[in-house]
Amino acid sequence: MSFTLRSVKVPPNSVNLEEARSRVFDFFRSACRSIPSIIDIYNLDEVVTKSQLRSTIAAEIRKNCHVTNPKVIDMLLFKGMEELNNILEHAKQRHHMIGQYVVGHHGLVQDLDSKDQGLSDFLKNFYKSNYF
Amino acid sequence: MALRTAILRHIRVPVQTLTLTGPKQHEQWSVCGSSLRFMSSHDDHLTKEEVIDRVLSVVKCFPKVDPSQVTPDVHFQKDLGLDSLDNVEIVMALEEEFKLEIPDKEADKIDSCNLAIEYISHHPMAS
Repeated sequence: MSFTLRSVKVPPNSVNLEEARSRVFDFFRSACRSIPSIIDIYNLDEVVTKSQLRSTIAAEIRKNCHVTNPKVIDMLLFKGMEELNNILEHAKQRHHMIGQYVVGHHGLVQDLDSKDQGLSDFLKNFYKSNYF
Repeated sequence: MALRTAILRHIRVPVQTLTLTGPKQHEQWSVCGSSLRFMSSHDDHLTKEEVIDRVLSVVKCFPKVDPSQVTPDVHFQKDLGLDSLDNVEIVMALEEEFKLEIPDKEADKIDSCNLAIEYISHHPMAS
């Protein structure tokens, strides 16, 4: 814990929505610029492309697009920054990256086949993912 | 001193061949002059057509964009129906394609194909 706290310093709060908004874009840019080293660290070049990872980051940010409170945006940015730092410090393993950012929330098992239709929801959720 | 004479000797070599062999070698010399400029980083500069082609292919490859709508003067948000985050994503894709790092203030201004082509074709480090 002290490890992450040392590497992530808390910036002062955003004054207004506009500043928070530009901070989100700055964060997105720095995340995009670290994609090559992330692919390098976790050997992801055979499972994902840079543009796919970029879209995944954008999708994660877009999940919170309805938030309008600058303080909440700052908090979410801090969490994102922390996550990015953890990833770059190799605090995760390859399967964490693949599970969270490559396969995403669809999961490895997708019911495309007709015989999957009868499967119980419990099992589908079980197969899907344990990242929420 | 020894280094200087060594370098001078090295440089003089093509000049001698030029004067000795005369007009026959002249063509070859001019080819050397344009394509083999050592220590020069500006030699592999992109042509405008190449920049346009590559910018358009990057924009067309963007998942939310309909490739048939992309033209050199299309506006990302007004014409292609993208939002500001998509705009930043496209600029990042362009950075990766041309191996640039566009400063944040200028990246904010790039909101159409036209501006992106203009910026990249005037950038000395684009490749």
